[in-house]
Amino acid sequence: MPEFFVLSWRVAMRHWAIYKKDFFANILPTLIDPALFVMVFGYWLGAHITQLNGRPYLTYMAPGIAASTALFTAYFESSYGFYVRLVYENIFKAVMTTPIGPHEIITGEFIWVALKGAIMAGLVGVVLFAFGIIKVEYIWLLPIMGGLVGLACGAIGLIATGYVRNMNQFQTVYALLISPMFFISGVFYPIDQMPRALQYVCYLSPLYHGVRLSQSALWAEDVLRDWLIHGASLIALTAILMLWAWRRIYPKLYS
Amino acid sequence: MPGACFGLLGPNGAGKSTLIRMLYGAMSRSGGEIRVLGLDPETGGRELRRSIGVVTQEDALDEQMTVLENMALYASFIGLPKSIAKTRIRDLLAFLALEHKVNAKIIALSGGMKRRLVFVRALLGNPQLLILDEPTTGLDPAVRQVLWTKIRALQQQGTTVLLTTHYMDEAEALCDQLVILDRGVVRVSGAPRDLIAEHSAGYVAIWKTALHPRLEAASLHQLTAAVDQIPNKPDVIRPANLEDVFLKITGKELSGDA
Repeated sequence: MPEFFVLSWRVAMRHWAIYKKDFFANILPTLIDPALFVMVFGYWLGAHITQLNGRPYLTYMAPGIAASTALFTAYFESSYGFYVRLVYENIFKAVMTTPIGPHEIITGEFIWVALKGAIMAGLVGVVLFAFGIIKVEYIWLLPIMGGLVGLACGAIGLIATGYVRNMNQFQTVYALLISPMFFISGVFYPIDQMPRALQYVCYLSPLYHGVRLSQSALWAEDVLRDWLIHGASLIALTAILMLWAWRRIYPKLYS
Repeated sequence: MPGACFGLLGPNGAGKSTLIRMLYGAMSRSGGEIRVLGLDPETGGRELRRSIGVVTQEDALDEQMTVLENMALYASFIGLPKSIAKTRIRDLLAFLALEHKVNAKIIALSGGMKRRLVFVRALLGNPQLLILDEPTTGLDPAVRQVLWTKIRALQQQGTTVLLTTHYMDEAEALCDQLVILDRGVVRVSGAPRDLIAEHSAGYVAIWKTALHPRLEAASLHQLTAAVDQIPNKPDVIRPANLEDVFLKITGKELSGDA
């Protein structure tokens, strides 16, 4: 078993080695997007909104940006990124001539999206703290939230890879699933503003639970209660999505 | 038999790559039994792949990495300690005349260099068995000759080789034993020379015009006698080779699913 994790870790480190080759090009969109959201919605639009649920609008929406950064980084990595490795670069055909097999490859992908989610959410947290937008006591929880959202949304990307017939179809998944998830998961407003039915849909969104985890941590409010409720929900959703991804991707690697 | 070269020949779609992938546990089989170096590739794949090297059909190199980075990565995949990996990579790059490219990006290598680098990758673990899946497809004759020499050198050191190829000259030059596979079935097997003796006429005359496609006879004497009856002189008269056997066994027509 330990060898299984050592080999899976090496797969993840292979992705990191490639990622850091173009570090600035790779990390820029992940950090520019949150910065734009904070500027446009937080400062400029937020200036016209005095308060939301008793706090400045910028403080309200900032935690959600940390969570959605984990969503985007993980989804793009495991959809486009994985697809290119699988179909265009044929990397896994070479990897599978070594002691590494399909289990280690998939586990390595999960490790990689979890790490990316954790690091990116953490970085956004640091930036938000530097601007004095959030409270710092529980900021160390942010990478845990990012890792979980990264795993769940990475799994969604892998599931998508398991279904698409070509790379263009990832846009369909983005338009019908990822983008709506971003807008209805309570990043910009509390979900009780939405119709009841849509709120139930929200409970199935890993991002929603990530947003709630992030909010409780960065507002330093109801941390224990929210982390129990939304942590458990997110773990359950993540487990289901990972299982689904595993069953969908395994035959692509080994049949 | 250590140091032997075994050939797996057949037209496109014959099942060569499928069989090869089953042999090192990268594909499951629907039935039957396979043992490679005493291991079942389906259950002992990870263990088995420590003892074999595979030159894959696709280069599948990490284009953004340098030669050294890419080989170090694969050395870590097979679990070589860093100190050993360093010497092994250096020795193998020298063996395949790539030492001057050690810090070059892979994207900047020529097709022949990439192919040689895939050999380096396959040899990192000092394999007992080396599987070559169409190792020289698309390479120029000079690079092919170099790779053949390297393959023979490895055999002399005791490495067993399993080769698939579409090039009959390659199979004739390298293989001690071979089988010709067609649509998943072994059609013939034996040493190349025996197969030529058994399945071809002996000598062949070839015209480039469509009027007289070819003429075969058991001896050169008989063939020239037959050729003398025809007013047009043939373009080539040559001994039969493995290609003649291949075409006879697998049929000259392209099948629909080839």
